[in-house]
Amino acid sequence: MIEICPLADLPAGEAKRVLVPPHPPIAVFHTEDGAVYALDDTCTHQDASLADGWVEDCRVECPLHASTFDLRTGGVDQPPAKVGVRAHAVTVQDGTIYVELSDETPNLPPGVSYGASA
Amino acid sequence: MTDTVATPSLIKTLPGAAYTDPAYFTAEQAAIFETMWFCVVRSADIPDPGSYRTVQVGRESLIISRARDKSVKAFLNVCKHRGARLCTDEQGQVQRSFQCPYHAWTYGLDGKLIAAPNLTKMPDIDRVEFGLTSLPVREWLGYVWVCLADEPPSFEDSVQQDIVDRLGDLDSISHYDVADLALGKRIVYDVAANWKLIIENFMECYHCATIHPELTEVLPEFADGYAAQYFVGHGAEFGPDVKGFTVDGSEGLDKIPTVADDQDRRYYAITVRPQVFVNLVPDHVIIHRMFPLAADRTVVECDWLYLPSVVEAGKDVTASVELFHRVNSQDFDACERTQLGMSSRSYREGGVLVPSEHHIGAFHDWVTSMVGTPRQEA
Ligand code: FES
Ligand code: FES
Ligand SMILES: [Fe+2]
Repeated sequence: MIEICPLADLPAGEAKRVLVPPHPPIAVFHTEDGAVYALDDTCTHQDASLADGWVEDCRVECPLHASTFDLRTGGVDQPPAKVGVRAHAVTVQDGTIYVELSDETPNLPPGVSYGASA
Repeated sequence: MTDTVATPSLIKTLPGAAYTDPAYFTAEQAAIFETMWFCVVRSADIPDPGSYRTVQVGRESLIISRARDKSVKAFLNVCKHRGARLCTDEQGQVQRSFQCPYHAWTYGLDGKLIAAPNLTKMPDIDRVEFGLTSLPVREWLGYVWVCLADEPPSFEDSVQQDIVDRLGDLDSISHYDVADLALGKRIVYDVAANWKLIIENFMECYHCATIHPELTEVLPEFADGYAAQYFVGHGAEFGPDVKGFTVDGSEGLDKIPTVADDQDRRYYAITVRPQVFVNLVPDHVIIHRMFPLAADRTVVECDWLYLPSVVEAGKDVTASVELFHRVNSQDFDACERTQLGMSSRSYREGGVLVPSEHHIGAFHDWVTSMVGTPRQEA
């Protein structure tokens, strides 16, 4: 479990990019209706930060091109991104956000890598 | 200073080159259009967050848009990456950002750089510094005004002073409630003439009896050649049989209720330098915005504004619009005809102003004080 930040530091409607080396950075979203989700931050199409994207109805739209990702599953709806991002389990305990990183292999865009090879 | 010629009745105009020389036009763009407050769009043209219009001001293309907090923004229409023009349409609606079509640098409605490919790898990029360049904006009379100067002049001492100089005070225009009127009609004229010819034409009425038969019927005093703009605080009175400011003198639309009794049945005209004309009559307001594009080309957007209740009820404004549409067409034809003579050897030193046009000399003095004296072509 990784401690992210107090919930109060991430207002509803906002997202933040969190570095979790040696893993790829993650994006943590606090939606307008109060839920908290975490995805890999890097879009699978090109190197863009999903934390800079737009959240609407449980999906985040990549800020660069039109693909959107499901905040619950990481699934992608339409090109140009062809594969989803990983979703990470989130818990909020005593007002603090924690994330349990997925152990799947991340789907990073061409030319982007993290960890030992980065 | 204004030159007089041997005959005291006559004052010299600017030389022909002031109306044809591309270098002089560029100097005017730099010294006038890029230094003064410039009226760009009606606020209601960009009603919602993400609505935008693009306009040409001086040598720059601008995006005028509304941000998420509903405030109006003006940006240079240039990507901070490698300079691509962001928006090429004259108007449109973006959902949440302006995105450059070249490498997808993406700017928020507040101008900040939101995203770009590989941006997270370049944490040293400041998102404000590399956001769009914003310009100062004012809203007045229901219009958006922008200024390209590093230090904009006081709006009160420039735009509003031109109104005061003509009407005597700002109260007189506030009676027309211009900001809250609604657009009944807009006509855009693409005029093959220098912007100064359009201003000079608007300032004088020596031509009225010759080219404006309908207007002279409605405002008989215009036949004497002295324009509303010759005097301070004077509005030309409607003829005794005229019911309204319409093409045939028929009844106009509902009167703007706050118009004062001494403003009733009168027409007032104001030039707000460098590119706006305001026309006031009891039941509507006509605003011209000029966009000078070249020494011999000016686009004029003309708005007819009425009480919102008139526009919402779909009342017939045809006879009302037709009067000034004819005036515009007659004037712009005259300006285009004049533009043809500007490059002639017979106009090398310019023409002359008769006494009822002498106040145009002050406009010429102002232009040369801003831009410098035009060279006389050999
Ligand atoms: S970078 Fe995300 S869709 Fe292209
Ligand atoms: S020029 Fe606009 S993103 Fe490259
Ligand atoms: Fe005229």
